[in-house]
Amino acid sequence: MKKALALGLTTVLWPVLAAGADILRPYGPVSPVEVFRKLNGLLLDAWPDEGRAFMEFITSFNVYYLYLALGLLGVFLLHYFVFGPRKIVHRGEKVPYYGFFTRFVHWGAAVSMTLLVLSGLAVLFAKALGGGSLVMGLRSVHVGAAFIFVIFAVFLFLALVKDMFPAPYDLKWFLVLGGYLSRRTRPVPAGKFNAGQKLWFWVGTAGGLVMFYTGYKLYQFTAPVSYLREVLKIHLYLGLAVLGLFLIHLYMSVIAVKGALQSMLTGYKDIEEVAVMHPKFYEKLRLKG
Amino acid sequence: MARMKFLCDIERCIACNGCVVACKEGHQLPVGVNRRRVVIINEGKPGERSISIACMHCSDAPCIAVCPVGAIYQREDGIVLVNKDICIGCGYCFMACPFGAPQFPRGNAFGARGAMDKCTFCAGGPAPTFSEKERRLYGQNRIAEGKVPLCAGMCSTKALLAGDSAVIADIFRERVARRGSGIAWGWSKAYKE
Repeated sequence: MKKALALGLTTVLWPVLAAGADILRPYGPVSPVEVFRKLNGLLLDAWPDEGRAFMEFITSFNVYYLYLALGLLGVFLLHYFVFGPRKIVHRGEKVPYYGFFTRFVHWGAAVSMTLLVLSGLAVLFAKALGGGSLVMGLRSVHVGAAFIFVIFAVFLFLALVKDMFPAPYDLKWFLVLGGYLSRRTRPVPAGKFNAGQKLWFWVGTAGGLVMFYTGYKLYQFTAPVSYLREVLKIHLYLGLAVLGLFLIHLYMSVIAVKGALQSMLTGYKDIEEVAVMHPKFYEKLRLKG
Repeated sequence: MARMKFLCDIERCIACNGCVVACKEGHQLPVGVNRRRVVIINEGKPGERSISIACMHCSDAPCIAVCPVGAIYQREDGIVLVNKDICIGCGYCFMACPFGAPQFPRGNAFGARGAMDKCTFCAGGPAPTFSEKERRLYGQNRIAEGKVPLCAGMCSTKALLAGDSAVIADIFRERVARRGSGIAWGWSKAYKE
């Protein structure tokens, strides 16, 4: 009997006990300060810590893009007039250098990257373009070009990666800075791709992955706002690097190294140029016959 | 000039989301765009409180400061509005806003964001008042009609007050004085004369 009573009481009281003190606590006044502290935490998230800094960053960052573009233009002019473009006397014999697949993905990536850079700059300097549907359209281009670029970039990576692993002579190439800071033409230690190109390749691959990830997060726009702020910062900093790489690549291939553009169009390089700029590859070619 | 403000009395708000629905329906907002939302703490537990939140129409608004094209502006009565003809949908305002007010519809090419949309205090936008364009881009212009915003008009417990800051501050002060302890639990404290 006693046992049954105890069991009955426990069954009735058990939910109350299990719920703990909460269920027995009367509805009393809650400190408004406490309530607002909790609500503010939910509403403002990390704004009190990082809001001001973000505002300062975003309103002052564009100018670095301007500095970079103008600075590089100055460097290019200086290099062009002090050292001049690289010209190698050609006798007409040519060797195959870039296969059709490599050239195809290169130009696919090049066109989409050009669109990315231009549309990205259009978003940054939207005010100069008057904003509105023009820039909004270019933002769509930015998104579309990004997805197209990524496809080409993956294939470009696969096409080039086997010649991009570092070799011992790459260090020597850096010591002479690829021979670019000299008017004389001397053979520089390099394989199919020189150390500078290799560095470009790996920096571009790593940076490209981060750029795509951050860009995708900004495209989705569903991450917590604090994360979006960080992601935007990284995207803008790396964008600076992308603009730099883009302009330098453009200058080197079109203006500074005569024949570079031609080789990417036709796939053939002059044998003299290969002998001077990529001697290790030249040796390999000669061994092959 | 009157300074327009929202004030949500958290002792009265019952998290019915009527304000959210009224706003969404009244302005025919697309799915995914919420000009107003209700935030709840201690849900289902003692000490549950909720607050209805939208654009706070800040003085010195961060969104205005960061907008790269100057699409956001503040009216003389403090209402912050966006010009969708200038907005490029970059999203900086969302990241600068302490309250998460700016919203972005999807649906441009490649799924890119469209122009920013946010609470207009039911004051329409920069398009001509009562024009078809204003209705389509920004929703109703109830302020120009002399009405309170939809959310505040709908609020069943009159927790959400909207209007001239001096007037709603007076109403709220009177309420708090009558309430005494700061909590409105039961009819006698919350509503009785």
